[in-house]
Amino acid sequence: MTVTENPRTYKYVGTRPVRHDGLDKVTGKARFAADLDMTGQLRAALVRSPHAHARIVSIDASKAEAMPGVKAVVTGADFADLDPTHPEFDMAVNLMARGEALYNGHVVAAVAAVTAAQAAAAAAAVEVDYEPLPAVLTIDEAIAKGAPIANTTNRTLFSGDAEPSNLASVNEFGRGDIEAGFEAADIIIEREFRTAAVHQGYIEPHACVADCGQDGKAVIWASSQGHFAVRSKTAAALGWSTDRIKVIPAEIGGGFGGKTTIYLEPVAVLLSQKAARPVKLVMSREEVLRATGPAPATKITAKIGATNDGEITTLQSTMYFDNGSTKGFSALTGAMSVASYKLPNLELHAIGTVTNTARSAAYRAPSAPQAAFAVETLIDELAQRLGVDPIDLRLQNAVVEGDATAMGMPHPKIGFVETLEAIKNSDHYNSPVPEGAGRGVATGFWFNIGEQSSATVNLNEDGTATVVTGSPDIGGSRASMALMAAEELGLAVDRITPIVADTESVGFTDITEGSRATFATGMAVVNACRELIEELKQRAATIKSADVERVEWVDGAAVIEGEDRLTIPEITAMAKNTGGPLTATASLNAAGAGPSFAVHVADVAVDEETGETTILRYTAAQDAGTAIHPSYVEGQIQGGSVQGIGWALNEEYIYDSNGVMENAGFLDYRMPVASDLPMIDAIIVEVPNPSHPYGVRGVGETGIVPPIPTLANAIAAATGVRMTSLPMSPPRLLAAITGGADG
Amino acid sequence: MPRTHALRTQVQCTVNGDEVDFLCADETSLLNALRDELGLTGVKEGCGTGDCGACTILVDGKVNCACLMFAPEAEGSSILTVEGIAQGDELHPLQQTFLEGAALQCGVCTPGFLVAAKALLDENSDPTETEIRYALAGNLCRCTGYDKIIRAVQEAAVQLNGASK
Amino acid sequence: MATVHLQADHRRFTGGEKTLRVDGGTVGELITELERRYPGLGPLLTDGASVAIDGELIPDGIFEKVDASTEVYFVAPISGG
Repeated sequence: MTVTENPRTYKYVGTRPVRHDGLDKVTGKARFAADLDMTGQLRAALVRSPHAHARIVSIDASKAEAMPGVKAVVTGADFADLDPTHPEFDMAVNLMARGEALYNGHVVAAVAAVTAAQAAAAAAAVEVDYEPLPAVLTIDEAIAKGAPIANTTNRTLFSGDAEPSNLASVNEFGRGDIEAGFEAADIIIEREFRTAAVHQGYIEPHACVADCGQDGKAVIWASSQGHFAVRSKTAAALGWSTDRIKVIPAEIGGGFGGKTTIYLEPVAVLLSQKAARPVKLVMSREEVLRATGPAPATKITAKIGATNDGEITTLQSTMYFDNGSTKGFSALTGAMSVASYKLPNLELHAIGTVTNTARSAAYRAPSAPQAAFAVETLIDELAQRLGVDPIDLRLQNAVVEGDATAMGMPHPKIGFVETLEAIKNSDHYNSPVPEGAGRGVATGFWFNIGEQSSATVNLNEDGTATVVTGSPDIGGSRASMALMAAEELGLAVDRITPIVADTESVGFTDITEGSRATFATGMAVVNACRELIEELKQRAATIKSADVERVEWVDGAAVIEGEDRLTIPEITAMAKNTGGPLTATASLNAAGAGPSFAVHVADVAVDEETGETTILRYTAAQDAGTAIHPSYVEGQIQGGSVQGIGWALNEEYIYDSNGVMENAGFLDYRMPVASDLPMIDAIIVEVPNPSHPYGVRGVGETGIVPPIPTLANAIAAATGVRMTSLPMSPPRLLAAITGGADG
Repeated sequence: MPRTHALRTQVQCTVNGDEVDFLCADETSLLNALRDELGLTGVKEGCGTGDCGACTILVDGKVNCACLMFAPEAEGSSILTVEGIAQGDELHPLQQTFLEGAALQCGVCTPGFLVAAKALLDENSDPTETEIRYALAGNLCRCTGYDKIIRAVQEAAVQLNGASK
Repeated sequence: MATVHLQADHRRFTGGEKTLRVDGGTVGELITELERRYPGLGPLLTDGASVAIDGELIPDGIFEKVDASTEVYFVAPISGG
């Protein structure tokens, strides 16, 4: 279902063709990184720290090196010695410890051998002498007075402090007069919220193959959200120049932010260099959960004030986000995501902590879901106390174009009001709440980003086209590229082949993150097509001996002086006679990313005997700007919703007192399965982004933001219990219901 | 020099209709044998512990996780992987409805879902939504939220029933 | 010359001032001038941060032209997942 204010109609944009890479994916032919094997390839295994924090006294690999099949061993001493101020220092130290193991699972050495079993056996035989150090495992431990330092290389960002600290960043945002805001309020609500670390949960574990040649250059086949970033990060970790590294993107089996950084490639390259053979390195699921990814655990206090008329006068919040073993921006982005309401008086404190747990990574709208849990819960309580409809209260306070974000900058054209109205007018919201169930609504926001992209469009001899980009396709973006090219060129979408090219075959392109691929890379594709059309008109003018000024491009053909017509195949067939191959390239650093808002509604039933929450109905509306391929826009909305549902109801990192993750497998790290869920009704709202040629905003991120508060609010409606810590799993919810307080 | 690894076992079985044989160590998983010895990399490893279903195959018509079987256990059996679902150039209706219904995003879980869904439809040609959801509960997908997968299976059932009438 | 809006974080350098008129024809020149007036502020404005100019988010926009009517917001780095 699509609610649209988009007045334009397109021939290809907005249609739902079969994706170009689909056939390979339903027949098992698509090659992901772990599916690739090179002649003479070795297999590698990693040695990981059993301690949450320890000094590495010595590493003795002599026994491992003497074992059958072993060809190479590397340790931290083999890697570039970066200064802690280097922007890639934390990434590099995370993939191979130097001097100290910073969390349980931190890699301290790696082994390559002829078979995987030999590599695993040799890794177990590497002797590491550790001197255990005091570990800091939680936000509360990190900020306690006299706490041990979790990572002695951490300095609080921009503080100028020379001393190590467990605080990664301390930031403040605000406006107005917070005290006056509370004085003007008739109702004030304050709560503390806690959320556990969760994993992105991509089904494909990290994997790569590296082949280092005699010329000192390396080829890497990798599964990543950005192969140019794999190249630059590998170069930094090894101290190499980027021209020594070529990265070929394999299909990627899910990323959600977790594959924006790297863990394996520099290790595989060094092992390959030492052994002079290709090396394949694949993580197990346990390794993925122990040592990659998690989104930060949080502790957030929030206090909101409103008048009896429903005007929110003020919001004050202190947000702690735990980055795990290294510094990061998670707290900052959490605070920045508070941008949905007018809030004349606002004070946000964002504090990032460092602990001896796995280094956190971006996860879909990074940090916004945790912040939304706090803010959207308080707004729901305000609506309850005021006795007003929760959507009406939000409509009354919703930001529109020109209103300030948390950072003060005004919102560009946005569709928050339209998205709220889409839910308000939905069949779901206008249906009665089922007997015994509770209904909750909540909203979400994400900025979206632009960044750098390149695209080349080649017209082939027969008039078919190839669209070459450098954006790994993590959710159907190739189809979107082909659709925009089809619309521009007037060429049927099945005559266009969209490909993701390696780092030596297309211009630099930033990571597929921040909902930017269809927005920014799509813009590069459009620009390249437009340049190509100018060239096609020139060629048509040459063929017809006409003035190019008299040539127009209409529906896939050059029209000369309003009548004579030359199609793309007719022009490409004569390319060699008119100046050679038809190709165009465009590169840009895209400005004008369009924020996307989402509003979700859920009906839930809670079993008061077991504490189990059953979702009876779920509807998610989101502003896509323009949906290029609506099926994959719906897919992003539905997938984001279900990740958020898992985060809300079941998923959490459980550590023991030694910092060992106790549930490092899919049996105990419980992600949603089909039988846990109803259909997810997706409503696409289209308020076009004026900064994109087709109005694209990007849709990947925002869908994960509303589900947590949506379900918390629905559970409150069903049970009368306000859950303020995640996950709202059956035992916790049961304890809260029976104890009358959050469990 | 003493031998450093054990003698390997020869396994004979039928895979996607072809008679095959391969050598493997006794502790080799069927998943690794299919991928490494037979090149059937459509069978994916997502967890290695039977929790994600990415390696779902049919063994004598029954759903199994290839990662939970030792390769020698496949002796004499008939195995179907995602590579064997299509009849020559003709896609199975499930493959077609997954494509047309956008029931895949990254596609790494797709082979397991297709095999599990085929097993369901082979046994129950007209499943309810709930039956589909429970039949696929052993397969994890992190991209789609399952909505379009369930709909694609429903649509394939309709097509298969239409064809058989 | 343009109008520059600073974050709360930045104001410890400016003695609490949050909105300033700053000389310069590009964003980079504004940063240079701000660093001259408030030593230490410059790195906060350049390290990975984006600017919003008249409401449009512009990554890495140090050469963006500004004039007397331009409203410049220095915003924290935004990435994504």
